[in-house]
Amino acid sequence: MKFTIGNCVAWCNNLRSTQDWQLWAKGQLDLQDEPDLPALKQIPAMQRRRLSAFAKLSFHCVLDVLEGEEADMPCVFSSRHGDLHKTSKLIENVAEREDLSPTHFGLSVHNAVAGLYSIFSGNKQAMTATAAGEDTLFMAMVDAYAKLESQNLDKILLVYTDQVVPEKYQPYVSNEEETISIAMVLEKSTTVKSSANTKLTIDFEKQATKKNQENTNNGQVFQPLAFMRFLFDDNKTTEINSSRYLWRLSESA
Amino acid sequence: MKDLINDVKQLIIETLELEDIEPADIADEEPLFIDGLGLDSIDALELGVAIKKAYNVKIDGDSEDSKKHFYSVNSLCQFIKENR
Repeated sequence: MKFTIGNCVAWCNNLRSTQDWQLWAKGQLDLQDEPDLPALKQIPAMQRRRLSAFAKLSFHCVLDVLEGEEADMPCVFSSRHGDLHKTSKLIENVAEREDLSPTHFGLSVHNAVAGLYSIFSGNKQAMTATAAGEDTLFMAMVDAYAKLESQNLDKILLVYTDQVVPEKYQPYVSNEEETISIAMVLEKSTTVKSSANTKLTIDFEKQATKKNQENTNNGQVFQPLAFMRFLFDDNKTTEINSSRYLWRLSESA
Repeated sequence: MKDLINDVKQLIIETLELEDIEPADIADEEPLFIDGLGLDSIDALELGVAIKKAYNVKIDGDSEDSKKHFYSVNSLCQFIKENR
């Protein structure tokens, strides 16, 4: 698949601006824990109060990346784990036979952030919320690309957000995972001829299933960071592996 | 009753995460929903659960009466006082 990446805004601990990401990709800035959240003063307090950390990170990147965009665009929201901190709290409440918070319950679905964004912005374009294990970010690109081409769209918004999972889930995921949100505008590769944008070609193939790898996920590549590094470093091609797929990326001006 | 009124206001603020609002900002007699404080139907559910937890008072979600009980801080406190 081929498409162009227009604007991209991402937030991962201390990496927040395009410059931060560039310096990090060049090895001149280290990723460091910085857990504070975007202030989102542009959202009225009555709406903002219901935003979890997960939603706040997503909102920040979405609102920032869409600044200057003229028309509402369809969106693909993606997350491997969703708002798992909220969900696991609800599950604990169920286990302890306590009443569930209706607000938290209502906002624990996978498309909650898409819904909140639509209410806030008035954007009524088609939106999906996807999850595909460790391949979530790239599979969201597959979804976005399919919509770009099949519906002949000019642009589509892609959002990816995940948090470091709650402690009890940590044995099941890679220790490389970080709290990160990425929002980018994808455009058809044929329509844009600006040198500021990155034209991306991504191919993927299924990996032969390896045996006995189920239990140890540690050291497994965290795709979102691997992708951000590729986007901002000087390499023109890279390969990113997951247990199920091999992703081949190449960019041209 | 005065203590109860303050406690309920504090409960409303904490439960509904009204970060910019102080108990003194909530008028005893003003509507909690839409026109007054601006709460919505999800807040009503949330508040119902919180009041049940705090005072062991159950408010029937569907009844016409519950609308009256939820009208203001005063009406809510009156209801809690009579039913706890």
